[in-house]
Amino acid sequence: MANDKPGAIKRCWTALRKPSAKYSLLALLVVGFFSGIFFWGAFNTGMEATNKLEFCIGCHEMRDTVYQEYKETIHYSNRTGVRAICSDCHVPKDWTHKMIRKIQASKEVWGKLTGFVDTPAKFEAHRMELATHEWARMKAAGSRECLNCHNFDAMSPELQKQTPYKKHMKAKAEGKTCIDCHKGIAHHLPKEYEEPDDE
Amino acid sequence: MKFHSDKLIPVVAVAVSALAFSSAAVAVDADAAKQLAKQNNCFKCHAIDKDKDGPAYHKVAEKLKGKADAEEKLIHHITSGEKAKFPDGHEEEHKIVKTSPPHDEAQIKNLVDWILAQ
Repeated sequence: MANDKPGAIKRCWTALRKPSAKYSLLALLVVGFFSGIFFWGAFNTGMEATNKLEFCIGCHEMRDTVYQEYKETIHYSNRTGVRAICSDCHVPKDWTHKMIRKIQASKEVWGKLTGFVDTPAKFEAHRMELATHEWARMKAAGSRECLNCHNFDAMSPELQKQTPYKKHMKAKAEGKTCIDCHKGIAHHLPKEYEEPDDE
Repeated sequence: MKFHSDKLIPVVAVAVSALAFSSAAVAVDADAAKQLAKQNNCFKCHAIDKDKDGPAYHKVAEKLKGKADAEEKLIHHITSGEKAKFPDGHEEEHKIVKTSPPHDEAQIKNLVDWILAQ
């Protein structure tokens, strides 16, 4: 005798498609609404957890290299006590771009699993490649993450030194953004990097 | 001719130390100096052989050539934030060069010696 009983997936799909005969529409809406809030909250909490500095330096690849360099820079310690952590510069704030960046970051998990830069020497060997990717991302985004804190229009000619002010206004007029000139500000520049002669 | 080892040792020691000191005076790590200059954006205002907002390093070396305190003066200039004069006549604090690890005098000295060798 042939077994004509549908498979588990088909039975599950059929059950999901069948209107509920047991629960009222209101009950389903209320449960769905609160479940939605719960899962959305949990999802965002997870996203925020992966934006914390502690998460970024949880692996030695970042902790032993770029984190040590960053600690010597003005973005870590300064006169006013404002600190920019990894995600402030490397993860977009708005939801859509943040999700795209997080999905891209799954490649970094693969890198971790395969030991792509699991020693300082390997990191150094790939520094130019890694930096080039990040500079390209920043350039394509018009230095969006820098602009969360910095802005050409907020630069005061009285408070900023004359030479940088002049260069900033020239860059603004030429449509440049921060990353065009400011590379290696929180990490060491790759040895292979050559400064473009812009004068 | 017979060499006495007790006389030879001091002579060799003097020769070796003289050689060591002379090579230390010229042993500039150009790659390390340029890397430090790049990291500190020195080349935004300076170039080796042409004036930008700051003077060419050739010119700096020329100006300080033969002065006993050249190295000391230049170290002070790039680490103290003293005023620098610009082509248009205005004065502005020179950027303080930072090293990694911080305050590494050997790296600063190497950079200054490299500039003076241009």
